[in-house]
Amino acid sequence: MNEAVTNLWSVPLLIIIPILTAILVNLLYNKTKAIRAISVGASIAVLAIAVLSPYGFHWFAGHPAVNSDGTYTFTASVFSWKLSLEYYYGPLQQILIGLMSLLLLFTVLIATKSLSKNLGPYLAIIFLTYVSAAAVLMTNDFYHLWIAVELGSLLVAGLVASSGTAYAQKAALKYTFFSALAGSGLAISLGLILGLTGYVNITDAIHFLMSNDLGGMYAVLYVAFAFLTLAWVYAGGLVPVHPLKSDVYRSAFPHGTVLLQTQSKLMLVAIGIVMLRLFGSLPFATDVMLVISVLTMIFGVVMALIQTDLRWILAYLIVSHSGLVTVGLSLGTYRGIVGGIFQALNDVIYMSILLICCEMLLYFGKGSTSIKFGGGVAKKSPWLAAFAVLGAMAASGIPPFNGFQSELILLQAALEQGLPEVAAVILMVSVSTFVALFRAIYSIFLKPEPEKTSESYVGRFKMPDVVFISLVVLLSISLILGVYPQLAFSFINESALKVVLVPWVP
Amino acid sequence: MIEISLQLLGFIAATVLVVVGIAGMLYLDNLIKKLIAFTLLSDGVNLALVSLGYVQGGIVPILEPDASIFEFPNEAALIFGPGIVLTNIVIGVSTTAILAALIVVLYRRYGSLKASKVLKGDRE
Amino acid sequence: MGSIDSLYDKIKRYLTSIFGGEGSTDAITGYSSGELQMAVFVMLLASLFRIFLIPLGIVLLLGAAIMVAYFAPIIRTVELENSNDLNRVLFWVIVYFSIILAVTLWGI
Repeated sequence: MNEAVTNLWSVPLLIIIPILTAILVNLLYNKTKAIRAISVGASIAVLAIAVLSPYGFHWFAGHPAVNSDGTYTFTASVFSWKLSLEYYYGPLQQILIGLMSLLLLFTVLIATKSLSKNLGPYLAIIFLTYVSAAAVLMTNDFYHLWIAVELGSLLVAGLVASSGTAYAQKAALKYTFFSALAGSGLAISLGLILGLTGYVNITDAIHFLMSNDLGGMYAVLYVAFAFLTLAWVYAGGLVPVHPLKSDVYRSAFPHGTVLLQTQSKLMLVAIGIVMLRLFGSLPFATDVMLVISVLTMIFGVVMALIQTDLRWILAYLIVSHSGLVTVGLSLGTYRGIVGGIFQALNDVIYMSILLICCEMLLYFGKGSTSIKFGGGVAKKSPWLAAFAVLGAMAASGIPPFNGFQSELILLQAALEQGLPEVAAVILMVSVSTFVALFRAIYSIFLKPEPEKTSESYVGRFKMPDVVFISLVVLLSISLILGVYPQLAFSFINESALKVVLVPWVP
Repeated sequence: MIEISLQLLGFIAATVLVVVGIAGMLYLDNLIKKLIAFTLLSDGVNLALVSLGYVQGGIVPILEPDASIFEFPNEAALIFGPGIVLTNIVIGVSTTAILAALIVVLYRRYGSLKASKVLKGDRE
Repeated sequence: MGSIDSLYDKIKRYLTSIFGGEGSTDAITGYSSGELQMAVFVMLLASLFRIFLIPLGIVLLLGAAIMVAYFAPIIRTVELENSNDLNRVLFWVIVYFSIILAVTLWGI
């Protein structure tokens, strides 16, 4: 079995191309045309790589897994020691990174359309945000996980602060202050797991935990779990951190929020799966995760109901739907994990539709997203109103769209586990999403225009082709996944099965 | 005389630093002081990580040509802790830089460094 | 006049007196539905304790129902506790973290 070592070619490209693009556009600074060409080209390239790449590993030590007799093996399911930092690119990574690359393309197109000042550094931050999420998804070692999460949190602050308002800068400052706590927590968790097992590779650490009796050292494992939970909560904006995270979602440009929410949902999935693999067998671990998820759903949706601005409503709904993602993961069953990952996928799509509609209102319509002064936008831009209504229907889980499918699976998974209360909370989140969104959409789009025109008057405007195309593409993906969800399941099923049955396999 | 191991002392010092850091971030009102508290916190974490790799009477974890490979794993200090600390220092510096930049921007806008004035929990 | 209408009018008048001003009706729908949601959520969470012991779930559910009725408008408190003040979030995170640690270590 001592054959030539073949590292997968696509994995380093997925990381390096965005980083090089970030450096290049940062150097070009304000040369809009060149920046646009380079960044669009790079996003198309990463999209193509994500779609075309085969599945496989990338080992940083330069050798694959080692058997106990010293030979190499390429099969992940055989008991072997990895002894290296490694990336894995599988079906789950393919669908999630592919979707994120598509959203990156749309974000870049819209950003180059709506902004002109300091475009280079802004796009650099966008590309690096993409890298952080992609690295968290692909990595199978604690070291890269930690670095990518830390990098991601600093980039979120950068992306938010670059929108330039005082409120955004304050939100970024608060978020970065908190990253001090969460990042230190993650470092300590990493240190404890390393001290306990001696392996930085997640597969090796799980092997060690399964084949050795820790005895009195279990307490250390629990403390490591608690610190890792803190980082999970922070990266995804779950309950105690949700006021800061919703600030972040609201203060960035809406097209920046498209990528921000994608990043945090993918991080939730990736870190959640690592937690399930490593700590899934500990008593109380999944219970703690479940309680966090339920509280996130509740507070997110209740805070969304009492807002009077579409951007705030969306910010809190994104938080609340992060709870929907994690509730599936924390049920810990096969169906729950499939539901959670599928919900993350769907969530990213329909929230992006709504956020792009928000961007249109604010920056092209030169209007406001407040409920109080709106009205009559449907008459001026009927297409925009149609997209907003359809996106809201997808978000609240109305049948022909994708939100319905994943929420149905989550409901089934919760009932299967004998937790009808959780199922009831999921249903109420779905209904409240409908109420909160349609309250805003009625007031802004459908209500007749108020008599006296205030400053927030939305003029007649034409939707740019780029935005129209991206909305059509996202809406069609939403419809296709809603009618034919098996398309996504073929990517998700395998990973969910592996988490449940063979947790050491990445 | 009570024998106190260096590792335990390291952990105690780290705990003190972390607690002082968190308390400073919670209770100090000045943004710069909050920033200093954050650096204390991250130093505490670094100290904890370094102490984690301490081995009583251990050697530097570099395999010399004439060293015995059977004694090396038992005697060498754990290398992972300092490895993580190196990265953590870099991350800490970049976080501090971002925080300092944001504080400068906010100071120019508000003319104050008081968190209670600058970071009020208000809505636009 | 009809009793239902007058009751509705009374509640509406009461709520308008709290949230007066321009565009108040939007706020009222949001706050009242949020209040109802919160009440139901609290009771649901209380009943979740039936996992450990069914009588405990029943007692906590009744207790939660009484608490909700007693502290009626809880939505303002919820809004306040969810404010984006840095120190408040830090405080909640530390409380939360100690709870997680206590629960997980208790599981040994």
